[in-house]
Amino acid sequence: MKLSEWLICMVLLAVVTPLYAEPGYIIRSSVLMDEPYRDATPLAELEEGASVEILKRKGGWLQIESEGKSGWVRMSKIRKGKAPTQAAAGSEAGGVLDLASGRAGTGNVVSATGVRGLDEEQLKEAKFDAGQVKKLESFTVSEKKAVHFAQAGKLAARELDFIPAAAE
Amino acid sequence: MKFKAILAASLILGAAAVDAFDLGGLVKAITKEPSVAPDSSSQQTKQPGLLGLLGGTPVEEEVAIGREIAGRLLGAAPLVDNQQLQHYINLVGGWVAKQSGRSDLIWHFGVIESDDINAFAAPGGYILVTKGLYKKLHNEAELAGVLAHEIGHIIKQHHLKILKQGQLIDMGGGILKSKVGGGDKGQAIGKMIGSGAEILARGLDKSAEYEADRIGVVLAARAGYDAYALPSVLQEIGHVSAGDSSVALLFKTHPHPEKRLVELGGAMDEYVEEFENGKIVADRFYRL
Repeated sequence: MKLSEWLICMVLLAVVTPLYAEPGYIIRSSVLMDEPYRDATPLAELEEGASVEILKRKGGWLQIESEGKSGWVRMSKIRKGKAPTQAAAGSEAGGVLDLASGRAGTGNVVSATGVRGLDEEQLKEAKFDAGQVKKLESFTVSEKKAVHFAQAGKLAARELDFIPAAAE
Repeated sequence: MKFKAILAASLILGAAAVDAFDLGGLVKAITKEPSVAPDSSSQQTKQPGLLGLLGGTPVEEEVAIGREIAGRLLGAAPLVDNQQLQHYINLVGGWVAKQSGRSDLIWHFGVIESDDINAFAAPGGYILVTKGLYKKLHNEAELAGVLAHEIGHIIKQHHLKILKQGQLIDMGGGILKSKVGGGDKGQAIGKMIGSGAEILARGLDKSAEYEADRIGVVLAARAGYDAYALPSVLQEIGHVSAGDSSVALLFKTHPHPEKRLVELGGAMDEYVEEFENGKIVADRFYRL
């Protein structure tokens, strides 16, 4: 049975490793840059609806390949999944329609066995569970522990103002 | 039912009393009405913290209300029986919450037994993430982003505001601040929240969700995490078919992830430099 275990491992590796090598499409025309920076060199114009292959992400940028060219595009200009058909074109609407068709969900459907949902009715019927709340509260960590944890992960706090909503 | 007449009366009186948030007079007039059926053991809770509510500070009220809601949600979906996981989410959440400026709250985080993809915030610092959503995450920054969105709801008191508005209409008002016994206070909270944890199924205004998204990316960035991890999670969730039951409640109570991405992306694009150099922290991410 050793061999089959190896095979499973190989298959899992093949699936998991290329986290971002997946299809996507341009939702707003944008510029392909050679580096993931605002002042990098523009390489090409990408038109709305163009199909791309997403390779990886760095900050707010995605590295992509499209029609033989490769470079970086702002994350907000791209959606994951296959480009909607021409009939459903139109930036966001396309994405939503695509989702509604169920096509974009392929491969992402949660197994139907043992699914434990949490619907409106269950929430309405829900009864307070004192033991569970106490348990939840017992997990709380001190601020000191949280700070240690952050330091161990090389996370440094920094100052940053809250941001306003995008202008219309 | 006399309900409609009372409702109308409360609306009229409520209009005058909105700022006071205390309908003492109205309450006297309606206390002959049978109160809503006691619906849980919580009415007789032995928590000493709860008994301090009468005349308590707004924060104590906030926590008491949130605790009741969180406890009811846990009644429907208990904590995942995994100490390490629960400890881990509290370390991440505690660190992110520290950036929120609300050090007056004690923050509690938990992963609950549900294959649904969702996360919940209850007033006062109670945050619960479903196992289904947790399993969709790839790294610590994504978890931080999800928790930061929920922390945003709490610091902006989104649910509390809805409850307070509702209270003016459904006549629970005033009881919290009137001189009544501990049991009545428990009922007052019960009345305010409604049945079970339905408040969490009602959903907030979509502008509140967009606001929590914007707060979420900033809190995650303040904590040193990659701010784009939350949008990344939204992309992932947006990819789940709308017909999938695991996202039914999430999609009902939130704008579609695609819409949220458009809003958030637009707001973040102005601040790309500020959001640079955050960390993903994938190596120590507790995987389920």
